[in-house]
Amino acid sequence: MLKVLIPTIMLFPTIWLASPKWLWTTTTAHSLLIASISLMWLKWTSEAGWTSSNMYLATDPLSTPLLVLTCWLLPLMILASQNHISPEPISRQRSYITLLASLQTFLIMAFGATEIIMFYIMFEATLIPTLIIITRWGNQTERLNAGTYFLFYTLAGSLPLLVALLLLQQSTGTLSMLVLQYSQPLQLNSWGHMIWWAGCLIAFLVKMPLYGVHLWLPKAHVEAPVAGSMVLAAVLLKLGGYGMMRMMVMLDPLSKELAYPFIILALWGIIMTGLICLRQTDLKSLIAYSSVSHMGLVTGGIVIQTPWGFSGAIILMIAHGLVSSALFCLANTAYERTHSRTMM
Amino acid sequence: MASRLSRFWPTLSRVRLSSALGSRCVSQTPNSSASGAAVASDLQPVSPAAQDSHGHAEVSPFEKNPDFHGFHHHDSFVDEWNMRLAFFFGISVAIVVGGTFIHYLPDHGMRQWSRREAERLIKQREAEGLHLMTENYYDPSTIVLPSSGE
Repeated sequence: MLKVLIPTIMLFPTIWLASPKWLWTTTTAHSLLIASISLMWLKWTSEAGWTSSNMYLATDPLSTPLLVLTCWLLPLMILASQNHISPEPISRQRSYITLLASLQTFLIMAFGATEIIMFYIMFEATLIPTLIIITRWGNQTERLNAGTYFLFYTLAGSLPLLVALLLLQQSTGTLSMLVLQYSQPLQLNSWGHMIWWAGCLIAFLVKMPLYGVHLWLPKAHVEAPVAGSMVLAAVLLKLGGYGMMRMMVMLDPLSKELAYPFIILALWGIIMTGLICLRQTDLKSLIAYSSVSHMGLVTGGIVIQTPWGFSGAIILMIAHGLVSSALFCLANTAYERTHSRTMM
Repeated sequence: MASRLSRFWPTLSRVRLSSALGSRCVSQTPNSSASGAAVASDLQPVSPAAQDSHGHAEVSPFEKNPDFHGFHHHDSFVDEWNMRLAFFFGISVAIVVGGTFIHYLPDHGMRQWSRREAERLIKQREAEGLHLMTENYYDPSTIVLPSSGE
């Protein structure tokens, strides 16, 4: 884990000490090397599932593909944004790449976290660089509105999660995923427990996003610059999916009844957002709504709690991460050449 | 090949984009007879949308540097080395070496082993004339049922 985390942290000195002429070259090469090293996580060494060198950062077959995706994405973001950021003053270029690298660091620590509180802190921490990227480097005036929607939707969902996690710590004494996977099923039979169940999941459902709480996504994806859209679509949405998969382990048996509204919303969302895509004139908006649709299917796969559902959700998350960021990159290429995102 | 393409690029951009979208991006470079290329005449005059943020009309970067790779607008040395390193680390290292590493990873989750083991057991049981699988998962003699009176 540290083989990748320390080179990622050393990206910050690379960014600030590289000469202006070679800034983009060195950061591209450095991040591609990190991406190559990250492939060693795919080696499955332990039959027990988790592979860890210490108690706090570990990988298992669920988090490994997402970690590799995260590490692969940073060089792609740097390549995609080189053209439109290069005209800016050098310190702003360095700040931009610093924000991308800090997102990478937070995301590696989020997917590698063994304590759910660590995952929560990193989940929240990724909001800040993303907000700065959207509001500072977005192209249209709507970016301020987009940043507000993005920030407050996610925060409103994640504060109940914090309370739910503190309650879980209080009742079970631990929040380590390594331990909780073996704990006895909790006695969940009152209204309070149902609200706790919802509190555990709402943050991730907003992040996925689920169809009813998806309004932040078209705004944020459209107003963000290309690297912001790429990281949002490819990895930040998957934080929601990953969090849900981890939390589902300990939410049984309430999930048998309480999951139905979310399955319905997810499936309805797939159809509705698919139809909305047909009416879009803005290319980035179309890709954003298609992301909602795909993540609706992932939500459905996770919430039905079957092994096939989980496997399908993981595969779709990785596939969508690669494809959606590539689509945003292509949309940006078209935008750079024609200065228009309209498809008519 | 890239230089041949770059000779036709102003023509291509003018013809394709002007016809599809109106006067969005029109190259303002004068037709240079020294390049020897067949060039179509200007289809539309410059519109404000075709100017970049400094107010100048759009100039194709291939005019100054015919070997422009897309990485650095002003310095061709940096542009070329950026291209080389991006391709080397991106394709040769990350994709090729990484792909080879993934190919030679050990049997993940023992899937190939379990397929081989299943085929071996099927062959063995067919040779011995046994059923491939017994009907009962548990040994029936170990199951204790409550008596029918309860």
